[in-house]
Amino acid sequence: MRLARLQLRNEAWAEDAVSETLLAAVEGLERFDGRSQVQTWAVGILKHKIIDQFRRSGREVALDAQEEIAEGDDLDALFQADGHRVSPPGAWGDPEASLARVEFFTVLQTCIDRLPAPLARAFLLREWMELETAEICKEMQVTATNCFVMLYRARMRLQECLQENWFAAGGTRHDG
Amino acid sequence: MASVFITCRQAHALLSGHCDGALNWRQRLVLRLHLAGCDACGIVGRNLALLSRAVRRIDRHGSG
Repeated sequence: MRLARLQLRNEAWAEDAVSETLLAAVEGLERFDGRSQVQTWAVGILKHKIIDQFRRSGREVALDAQEEIAEGDDLDALFQADGHRVSPPGAWGDPEASLARVEFFTVLQTCIDRLPAPLARAFLLREWMELETAEICKEMQVTATNCFVMLYRARMRLQECLQENWFAAGGTRHDG
Repeated sequence: MASVFITCRQAHALLSGHCDGALNWRQRLVLRLHLAGCDACGIVGRNLALLSRAVRRIDRHGSG
């Protein structure tokens, strides 16, 4: 449910996707060959159901995306007028140390949750669902340029959010 | 011909495009030239790579 909510950013859509996933899992259980973990198998089904939900809700997804594009970015604070950074970004040190921490993923989910819905949808379609950008443009009914703009905005905001709420807070210095 | 020198803001956008495999040869070239002289954008590139790796593991963590 958490992943469906994070990706779809709509409670009713998430409930539908999860319900359909559970039904498909129960119906397909006898075909599950045990070569992967049950969770991995179920997440695979969920990803398909999320795409189905995107297609059913295409008009609303597209309108949200158009509104986001029209709003413009809020990244001006990062850059000087000449386009160079106001201050260098924080280096994230040993990445594996963070990826081994459950708490890091809680912060990451919070940061994704803070993104405007269209940015979160585009970003997760790309990075979690691993769709090609052409497929994301199709699902969200946006041009390729707008798709890249949304992915760029999402990545910059997430980087700033993780910097502020995990790395600058010393997340990697704490033990389990 | 447009300059091969770009700002950090332009480099950040190209770094994001690089994550999507969307850069043409000229964009890759100007990005590499920029990164050769800009530590800040190098850090952003590494941070974005970590972000990508982290999100691909997000379904293995947490509950709910």
